[in-house]
Amino acid sequence: MSHSHGNASSANDPRQPSAAKPYTPRPVAPEDLPVDYSGFIAVILGVSGVMFRYKICSWLAIIFCAQSLANMRNMESDLKQISMAMMFAIMGLVTNYLGPNRPAAKK
Amino acid sequence: MSRSFSFAIIVYLFFYQHLLAASQFEGFDAEDDDVSEDSSDLHHSLPPPTITQSHSSLPDPETSYSDSNSDLIPELDPEPHSKSKIATPFDFWDEDEFEGLPVEIATAQMLESPLIAENATETVDPDIASIAQDTTVPRRKKKKSYIVEIGCVFFLIALGINYFVGKHENERVALAWAAKFASKDTIFQENFSLLGVGEGEDTPLLLKEALNVFKFYATGRRYCHGLLATMELKSRHDLISRLFNLLVPCEDEITFEVYMNEESMDHVVLAMARKKAAKTMQKEVKDLQRFAGIVSPPAGRKWVSEELGVISESKEVAGDMITDTVLDQVFGDKAMEKYRKNFMSMHISDQHPGKHKKMLLFKFSLPDAKHMDDIVRLVALIPYYIDLVGRYRLSSQARNKTESGRQKAAEEAYKELQNVRQEALQKKKAERKKMMEEAEAKLSAEVIRKKETKERARQVKKAMPKVKMNRSH
Repeated sequence: MSHSHGNASSANDPRQPSAAKPYTPRPVAPEDLPVDYSGFIAVILGVSGVMFRYKICSWLAIIFCAQSLANMRNMESDLKQISMAMMFAIMGLVTNYLGPNRPAAKK
Repeated sequence: MSRSFSFAIIVYLFFYQHLLAASQFEGFDAEDDDVSEDSSDLHHSLPPPTITQSHSSLPDPETSYSDSNSDLIPELDPEPHSKSKIATPFDFWDEDEFEGLPVEIATAQMLESPLIAENATETVDPDIASIAQDTTVPRRKKKKSYIVEIGCVFFLIALGINYFVGKHENERVALAWAAKFASKDTIFQENFSLLGVGEGEDTPLLLKEALNVFKFYATGRRYCHGLLATMELKSRHDLISRLFNLLVPCEDEITFEVYMNEESMDHVVLAMARKKAAKTMQKEVKDLQRFAGIVSPPAGRKWVSEELGVISESKEVAGDMITDTVLDQVFGDKAMEKYRKNFMSMHISDQHPGKHKKMLLFKFSLPDAKHMDDIVRLVALIPYYIDLVGRYRLSSQARNKTESGRQKAAEEAYKELQNVRQEALQKKKAERKKMMEEAEAKLSAEVIRKKETKERARQVKKAMPKVKMNRSH
């Protein structure tokens, strides 16, 4: 415990530079990665917002997209899902606000 | 309902009329015989026409119609009730026979058609009309509220701000830990020759895997390959997780994994954690489940504090591993009061499930950046245990007990490996067979092609000599 501090310079030096092994990052199989729940929810909300024309759904989809972006670890694989969710959400917003069926509700 | 039905029929009839009108005009251009044919066709398929048709049919020749008028009426009778509302000249008289009337009829029919058109448009746009009415009314009364939009934009801005603030805070905690334990003249510096992930001297100590996951690697010590410390901090950068953590409390954790050398570690399976966690560990972790059980405190000696549970293969091993110094410093009753909130678990095993078998695992909860001193003693456990386990050798009795269990485990592992290898071999064989079959199929296709080309060449050759014969003339 505390005596280990004093051992640094003595013959009891626990260090062995010869035994040093460089770091090899453990390969993580893509299936083991934690499931991106927020991205999944964002896609579902975006699709429902486009189909059922609920404004709240599209806005919530954007919020969850933002959360998924913040939690993104792998640039390549996660970006596809997030961009898909973003497109759905933006499409939902566009159809909700600028859509032809609701001239009275133009923003 | 009847309105919509009538509208549907009107639309259907409209389309029909256009076709029929064209045929009528054709009939006019041709001879009278053709006209009679066309008119009879017209009558059989006659829908109750609106003005357009009646106007176009005015100049029709009289004779044919007067004959077939009687036919008309019974045809029209079985048609639906609504159609009878629409009067047509064919029903009752011939326009040319009655002069002066057509104007009235025409005007009556003119009036009727707008009504029909109105019905039609009404059935088409009842929704839009009602919506227009609904929206016009509240428009005058209410202003449109933008609460949803404003709320969501605020939330997005809050998310963005929280992202940067949380990221910075996490980095602060990680750097504080590294400054305390991994930089110059600190415990890891004195125990390991190579710190950090990279190759040279100036490599960064911490590896940032994600915004809340940091890794620290140290290597170059006796008895072990290396040590990997993984800091899993709260997701401070993510506002939604932060809100969730208000409901479900979460802690910053640090996990130390020490990879022991093959020759340095004897048969030791030991775990220690808080009571509840110890029970779940014993049920879930494979090697503990297999080899070890919860050990009750032995009589006649100092033991760990009441709130900790010890899981071990045998009491002897447990007793040897939990030395007096450890008890005094960390695990005893007095010391545990200080470290109770920071110590989570300890797991020493030489049968660890996973790639590397001989491992020491320590899990502590991290305090905040300013209180890093709280876990100094806990972290100091690590090199102590590396040395302790590295030097420890079981007595022969204990060895015998542990030996049989491990042999079984080794045999089972070997069998599993063999099964896996066999399956892989079988798969490869099946794949090879498929490849061979495909290759054969291709080859046979090529053979067929070659045969065909040969046959064509033969035919061409057969044709050639004739030409030669001709030339010789």
